[in-house]
Amino acid sequence: MKKVAIIAQTKEGQLSDTSIQLISFLSSFSPESILLVAMGEVKFASIPASKSVDVITLSEGLWTDSSAINPLVNAVEGYAVFGIKSIQVDNLLSLLAASSSQEMISGIQQMSFSGGKFSISKSIFSGKASLSLTSETVGYFSLNRNFDFSGNAEYGEQSVGSMSTLTTAAGGKASILELKPITGSIPLPDATLVVGAGRGFKDPGNWTIVEDLAKALGAATACSKPVSDLNWRPHHEHVGQTGVKISPNLYIACGISGAIQHLAGVNGSRIIVVINNDPEAAFFKHADYGIVGDVNDILPRLTKKLQEHLN
Amino acid sequence: MKILVCISCVPDTTSKITIDPSTSQISSQGLTFIVGPYDDYALSRAIELKESNGAEVIVLHVGGSESEALIRKCLALGADSAVRVDGNPTTSTQIANAIVSYVNQNPMDLILMGKESIDYNSGIVHGLVAGALGYTHFNPVMHLDVAGDGLKLEVEMDGGKMDVNCPLPAVLGCQEPIAEWKIPSMRGIMTARTKEIVVLPLETASQIQIVKADIAETARKNKMIKAEDAEQLIDLLRTETNVL
Repeated sequence: MKKVAIIAQTKEGQLSDTSIQLISFLSSFSPESILLVAMGEVKFASIPASKSVDVITLSEGLWTDSSAINPLVNAVEGYAVFGIKSIQVDNLLSLLAASSSQEMISGIQQMSFSGGKFSISKSIFSGKASLSLTSETVGYFSLNRNFDFSGNAEYGEQSVGSMSTLTTAAGGKASILELKPITGSIPLPDATLVVGAGRGFKDPGNWTIVEDLAKALGAATACSKPVSDLNWRPHHEHVGQTGVKISPNLYIACGISGAIQHLAGVNGSRIIVVINNDPEAAFFKHADYGIVGDVNDILPRLTKKLQEHLN
Repeated sequence: MKILVCISCVPDTTSKITIDPSTSQISSQGLTFIVGPYDDYALSRAIELKESNGAEVIVLHVGGSESEALIRKCLALGADSAVRVDGNPTTSTQIANAIVSYVNQNPMDLILMGKESIDYNSGIVHGLVAGALGYTHFNPVMHLDVAGDGLKLEVEMDGGKMDVNCPLPAVLGCQEPIAEWKIPSMRGIMTARTKEIVVLPLETASQIQIVKADIAETARKNKMIKAEDAEQLIDLLRTETNVL
């Protein structure tokens, strides 16, 4: 394959595990060269890959003005450009794709490359179905967070090659008035363990038992749409068709009946546990493990058991 | 202000998705179509802006004539006119290019659409349109107010939210709670009957080949644990899965 570029956010100067896996995955295509476009500072000096990775650091993590994007368009010209799905990565990939008159595919679940052609499986209908695509010309690719990297070959650490910084007025004429980061909790899209709760809790005051279980697990908390509509929990915790879509290793759904719109947001989870006092709750059909019982009784017992294990 | 609202027409959220064995594609048999829920939020906010600040609202859809009833519903909600780019697009690029070529002929101050369509979930059409037109781009927008010559927005970002000043022209992907969904009034339904839906040809192609669609089969264990043995769950998660 020709040249590949990866667009990735960094956190405290480091790449996420999925971004590192993406670099290994692309290494298996034997590209001529590998370029990392880092949205954020870079504090590492080596990356596992088939060859040395060149790095461009963007001085801005936020790109909103497509008229300011030309220096970056030029920097990735001739590259097939990849990213792992996130708000900022997909926004930047799509601006870049259109600015360079290239096609883009997002929601990629599986991908292979042979004979100059990409074969791609894309998740559609919130994971209820998939679409098989082929293309020789697509230039921009966004892979889902639960893309299966399990068959990746192991590569040794390669020193970072050339390093440069691209400074440009990324925001253009737009200006940020206030940044409002979510603090004190694990961001849902990044979480590998999630505890979700629904209207079965009857009162937002009962939420402490959800938070206790989440804390014992080291999990993020989520909620169903009725709960965020009632303002019991903030909108960013709403998981479902019109909310956040999650794909953790473990999702524990408590007092959630399992409406099809909620399932659409969680069916990418590897293991699903359902706890509900209604044995007829639709969610049990989509569960790996189910417990029919009162959440107010079950959750504190699970929390206690986890704490005993930790001690 | 001239506002273009781009809508998708998608199977409703309770649809059971099936494959047509003769084409290996998603079957449209027995499906009820709705305006994409996120697009519906975008349209509702555009109508509110028209009522509060004065604006011309144009609805655009890329798709076949079967969508005209849904386009008519958008007109009943208060959109002034509509455009249907006639064809069956298969990729985000085709849809984006159809929007871009319309806007090149008919410049807009603001282009709104949902953050993604709930059928193909690509979520990139707004970015592709902004990139091709050179407009300012924000996505997903949760609050939108007119401020001076531009807009003040609240936008979700990875790990939080931000408030921004956004100059025009702009392309925005929208999500709740930007507006409440609206229901057409009887008067709106009556006046919509005489509003114009302009039909234009879809002239853009895609180099991506669609091979087939498949239904995702997720096999779940469906193992029930008695309430009195609930603590067993932790042991089972440790021994049967490696998630803990």
